[in-house]
Amino acid sequence: MVALARKTLIYEWRRFLPAMLAVGFAGLLQLLQLALVLGIFGSTSLYITGSSADVWIGYPGTQSVGQGRSIDSDVESRILMDPAVQRVEPYIWVDGDWRGKAETGGISVFVSGIDTHIDALMFSNALPIELRERLNEPDSVVVDRSDLDQLGVDIGGTATINGRQVRVVGISSGLRALGGVNVLCSLETARHLDSDAEDIGPTYLVAKLRDPTQADAVALRLRGDTAFGPYTTWSADDFANISVRYWMFDTGAGAGVLFLAGIVFLVGAVITSQTLIAAVNGSVREYATLNALGVGVGALRRVVLEQAFWVGALGLLGASVLGVVLLLLARGQNVPVVLNLPAALGCIVLVMGLAAVSGLAAMRSLRAADPATLLR
Amino acid sequence: MNPAIPFPAAIANEVQTVALRAENISKAFVSGKQHTQVLDGLSLHINAAELTLISGPSGCGKSTLLAVLSGLQKLDGGRVLALGSELGQLDLRALERFRLQHTGFVFQGFNLFPALNAFEQVELPLNHMGLSRSEARERARASLDEVGLSHRMKLRPSELSGGEKQRVAIARALAKEPELLFADEPTSALDAANGQMIIDILHRIARTHGTTVLCVSHDPRLVVHADRVLAMEDGKILNDLRNHAPVSASKGTP
Repeated sequence: MVALARKTLIYEWRRFLPAMLAVGFAGLLQLLQLALVLGIFGSTSLYITGSSADVWIGYPGTQSVGQGRSIDSDVESRILMDPAVQRVEPYIWVDGDWRGKAETGGISVFVSGIDTHIDALMFSNALPIELRERLNEPDSVVVDRSDLDQLGVDIGGTATINGRQVRVVGISSGLRALGGVNVLCSLETARHLDSDAEDIGPTYLVAKLRDPTQADAVALRLRGDTAFGPYTTWSADDFANISVRYWMFDTGAGAGVLFLAGIVFLVGAVITSQTLIAAVNGSVREYATLNALGVGVGALRRVVLEQAFWVGALGLLGASVLGVVLLLLARGQNVPVVLNLPAALGCIVLVMGLAAVSGLAAMRSLRAADPATLLR
Repeated sequence: MNPAIPFPAAIANEVQTVALRAENISKAFVSGKQHTQVLDGLSLHINAAELTLISGPSGCGKSTLLAVLSGLQKLDGGRVLALGSELGQLDLRALERFRLQHTGFVFQGFNLFPALNAFEQVELPLNHMGLSRSEARERARASLDEVGLSHRMKLRPSELSGGEKQRVAIARALAKEPELLFADEPTSALDAANGQMIIDILHRIARTHGTTVLCVSHDPRLVVHADRVLAMEDGKILNDLRNHAPVSASKGTP
């Protein structure tokens, strides 16, 4: 079989280049946008994914980690009564106002008061043990490396949070927050920094189970008891999803992603289909001659669709190579980017769908390939 | 004409040698309010294994005649019998299949794919005929050899001269081994020497392959090379001439 589609694509690559670029950039744009959004909004669940707790206990109706309310500290004993629970520790979230010595103005910070034991659950995946031990010093805090400039401090520097002096004793990485700056300290320090008199207990309790696979069942079992005041429970996965979803949809960011995906698809499809239509028009007399010789319209359509497929595949290849390079570059610059399999598959579907739609549009111009027109 | 008896017994003998028959055909074009009757009640038959030339001034309807005789255009009235099939009865698919199996075309423009070399141009339509890969290649090679291009098979159209391109186009039609070969102004884009070569090849195809070659041209140089010349004007056959002693008597019936 003479590979007409591929040979034409190679021989007339200049003609097809705009389509490949359009497809490639559409894919790249979508890929980077998704990676950024996942990276940025993924950081809203850092508190959960960076910790090794299996079940979270917090105030009913909490929509994201940063919006907790204090619960009664006696809930801890209720949780510990469940035989599946191995250990429980409190986690205190305080919204703080950071004022440093440098000219930075007031900065909104998220203070995380955590257990400082070696085997503590909170931030066990994000905070090195020796940094955690340093938090035992009264009024000491750890901040993320990427936030140093914003906070105007360096290690050993001091500032005030909610009017109380703290000292930076360590610098960590991977603790970037969205809409503020994460500051880690001990539970004791956090209690001092909390200026709200109504906060009497911890914001959350986090629990480790003997069998982590039971998280959903245990979370369900522990829910609904009001003897110790209002609280509810989530498995860690559920709570992480709730947090990310809150940011994605209640902030309009998710709608933005979908909107841009639509725009990217539309612009890419317009350019690609126009290029393919021009390519069909450029060969319309040859197609008409083949049809005169008895080659069916269906076979000619397949040629156009095959060209669209190759345009899509080559565009995708270019987008993948460039995308990987740019994502690595972004990682190197502490830009939060995350790419998972569903997101990558989504991009592939978008790009190939774009190519397919363009190919279908170009197929219509084959109607001009009427052999009778060759006789006039 | 009674469709129940398509061929009266008296001319059954002639059916063998008549490849194409047009009966009382008419065709008009409408553009806006302009109604142009191009063919009006024309009848003729074209003999098998001959090179028939339809000549006439431009606009006389000769290309339209070729289009309806080859099944590329629908008729307004009358009927066309090609190799015993009534083309008007065939739907689009069946017409494509008929053309695939029985007809070849050569156009004024060579209409070769820029990306394919001469060999691939010829092989491409054969791929769709259900031939094996080796047979398609064998036919393509033999066909290019026949038009004298076996040494230029690997060249693309941009590397071929006009005459060579038209010979590739002829080889493309010839490789299908069609019973009917239609040529529309095959020489008008070529100089005298190349035009001569093309008409010689077409003539030889009619002789050696028994192919019915119907050629439309206003090129007066071709007249002496045709077996039969139909002079056309205003949608009518004015003159029906034979250059050589005819194998069987046949007349155009205007």
